[in-house]
Amino acid sequence: MEQLLQTLIIGLSNGLIYALVALGYTLVYGIIELINFAHGEVFMLGSMIALTLLIALGVAPGMDLVTTLALILVVLVVTMTLTATLNVSIERVAYRPLRSAPRLAPLISAIGMSFVLQNVGLLWKGPTSLGFPDVIPNTNIFAVFGLETSVAVTYKQLFVAAVTIPLLLVLSWFVAKTRQGKAMRATAQDPDTAGLMGIDVNRTIAVTFIIAGALAGAAGLVQILYNNTTVWNLGFRFGLNAFTSAVLGGIGNLQGAVLGGIVLGLINALSDRYLSAQWTNAIVFGVLIAILVFRPTGLLGQQLADRA
Amino acid sequence: MSTALIQPVTNDGPGGPLVWLRQRAEAIAGWPGAYARHVRAHPVRTTFLTLLVVLVVAYPFVRNTFLTPFSRSVFPLPLPDDPVLVFMMIFAIMAVGLNIVIGFAGLLDLGYVAFYALGAYTAAYLASPHWGGLSFVLFANVPPGYPGIHLPFWIIVWVAAAVAAVFGVLLGAPTLRLRGDYLAIVTLGFGEIVPIFFKNLVNVNFTFGPIQLVNANLTGGPLGINPIDAPNFFGINFGVIGGSMPFYLGLVLLVMTIVIARNLERSRMGRAWMAIREDETAAEMMGVNTVRTKLLAFGLGASFAGVAGALQASYQGATTSDFFMFSTSILVVVMIILGGIGNIWGVILGAIVVQYVDKTLLPWAGPRLGEIGTALGNPELGAINPSRFSFLLFGIALVLMMRFRPEGFVPSRQRAAEMHTAPPDEAIGSPGVIEEEVPTAEESEAAAPVPGPTDPDAADDAARQGGPL
Repeated sequence: MEQLLQTLIIGLSNGLIYALVALGYTLVYGIIELINFAHGEVFMLGSMIALTLLIALGVAPGMDLVTTLALILVVLVVTMTLTATLNVSIERVAYRPLRSAPRLAPLISAIGMSFVLQNVGLLWKGPTSLGFPDVIPNTNIFAVFGLETSVAVTYKQLFVAAVTIPLLLVLSWFVAKTRQGKAMRATAQDPDTAGLMGIDVNRTIAVTFIIAGALAGAAGLVQILYNNTTVWNLGFRFGLNAFTSAVLGGIGNLQGAVLGGIVLGLINALSDRYLSAQWTNAIVFGVLIAILVFRPTGLLGQQLADRA
Repeated sequence: MSTALIQPVTNDGPGGPLVWLRQRAEAIAGWPGAYARHVRAHPVRTTFLTLLVVLVVAYPFVRNTFLTPFSRSVFPLPLPDDPVLVFMMIFAIMAVGLNIVIGFAGLLDLGYVAFYALGAYTAAYLASPHWGGLSFVLFANVPPGYPGIHLPFWIIVWVAAAVAAVFGVLLGAPTLRLRGDYLAIVTLGFGEIVPIFFKNLVNVNFTFGPIQLVNANLTGGPLGINPIDAPNFFGINFGVIGGSMPFYLGLVLLVMTIVIARNLERSRMGRAWMAIREDETAAEMMGVNTVRTKLLAFGLGASFAGVAGALQASYQGATTSDFFMFSTSILVVVMIILGGIGNIWGVILGAIVVQYVDKTLLPWAGPRLGEIGTALGNPELGAINPSRFSFLLFGIALVLMMRFRPEGFVPSRQRAAEMHTAPPDEAIGSPGVIEEEVPTAEESEAAAPVPGPTDPDAADDAARQGGPL
């Protein structure tokens, strides 16, 4: 029972990282119906940028907590800015010129972009996997209250929640309440009519890519601080997991992406723990295929009108 | 060589195999005459094609004979050696097969490597000592008492094609009604799952009714299966690594696949594929059984990869799951896109060029970079290994091709026309109003470098279908 709870906690924290990346897939798919293959790679580069900045700022284990958190906050903001810029540049270079091309053209362009970015990571950091030590203590927070619990929630896991949950809340506020969010929803529903109503469709799409890129950057930082590792081909598997999460929740659906991410994190953790890590990927892809075949609208259903 | 390969020849009146054979012999005897007529009708083209065929067949001799310092100074680029030639053939077969799926039927398959793996493992199962408990030898050149199943290559090729086709149909049946991009993801998932199975099914304990497996080694695990028998015809070993015979075996298989693909393209089925690619709903209205037609495209396309896989396994004498990765699927897609989607000759050229760049040019460029670096006083240049970045090149190629020449370098005329009829108002996220304010003249020019016939309605429907690329 304790083991199960512990597994669920680990799955939940990884699921939150999946959710951040899945939101990028779902936002982009929602607005231009493109599976942005390069998104996983933006996440991977985000983790590398975060790692570089953390080392450059001298973040190391044993610093006092306030300084560490302040520096991490700086790294978070810079990483998010850089990945947002990267993502919107990708859109400008590889997808916008193909806006009026047949549908599979941007998809193939995205696959090409994904390989380009993978190789950028490979050129930049080399082929070996990079590590970063725990700067946020990996100890049980219940210990503060003098409790010796057998099921541990660590500071690191608390940190994952502290970064992801506010971002998710800000995002849903942005999409639901702001003028720009309204423009995004309108464009997702019908870009032609949205354009006729005076919405700058290209700008709205660019904003969507900026948000998606920023979320991927945040996920990259959390990845390096929570899972302590990154490598040039991290983006492919992670991206497919995140895409599966988006599909699982119902692609185009923001709440769905978060739910899907969490469910997928749990599936991953349970499979790693009780089955075997070598089968986890097969299970994830099996889930992906099964959803697409039997319930392509996902758990929560597709919110956008199907324009296909 | 008309449609005889896929349609049964019907003999009127009495006859039988002998009559049929005589007809074939007469047809073959008529070839020189037909060739002479071709030379008279199209002298330039026929001469060019003849020279090309002679050059391809004679290539290994030409290369071995003329590799003198003088010829190297005239043509400094490296010439592909025998293993690279075989892989050119293997990938050309796959490109022709994937072209049926993507180019003819318009279904984006990103997991094509799964069928390649299935073909390779089929060959491994049927011609290796893997099943040590069994002993079954048929027409195979193996020492007496050698354990395992050993079938000859010319049977294995067909079995591998059939196995791949069956899996293609099994995967396609539930998924082919999905939209284009969803289908791409499902096939991608399948392409990832198959190698995982081959990697992990090594210590299987399984009981189901009478079937009992205890620590069964089904796939050889991460080590794969080896040795696999080399292809052998009439005592000639076609698997000698380093010799040119495997290249000729690959060439024969490639010619067979070309003939089959050409006949399929011009058959009723081929026209149905293209109708579906253009507009699935309209095709269905015209009486095309869309599900059956798409399944056939998927299954037949898969069978080509099965043949390629069997060739790979038999040629290399080993197969492991690590050989079959997502990047291999993408490599074949790159070949098709570069060469000219929908055009058999284009995709073959694409396969040859991509293999050449990947396996000959880039490995050769590494030491050259070092020499240039030393000459410039910058020896670090030599530390760069260009072949590690082949996918950087291919990725850039994909993005640029989609932007500037989506129909490929040797386009099929029909597809080129489709690619450049941008639907003016069905475009996703870019309605006409916006068009006016944003794109510069330069951009709109880039979007349509080759003026194609404009048929807004057809392109419009095509975009809605999501089928054609």
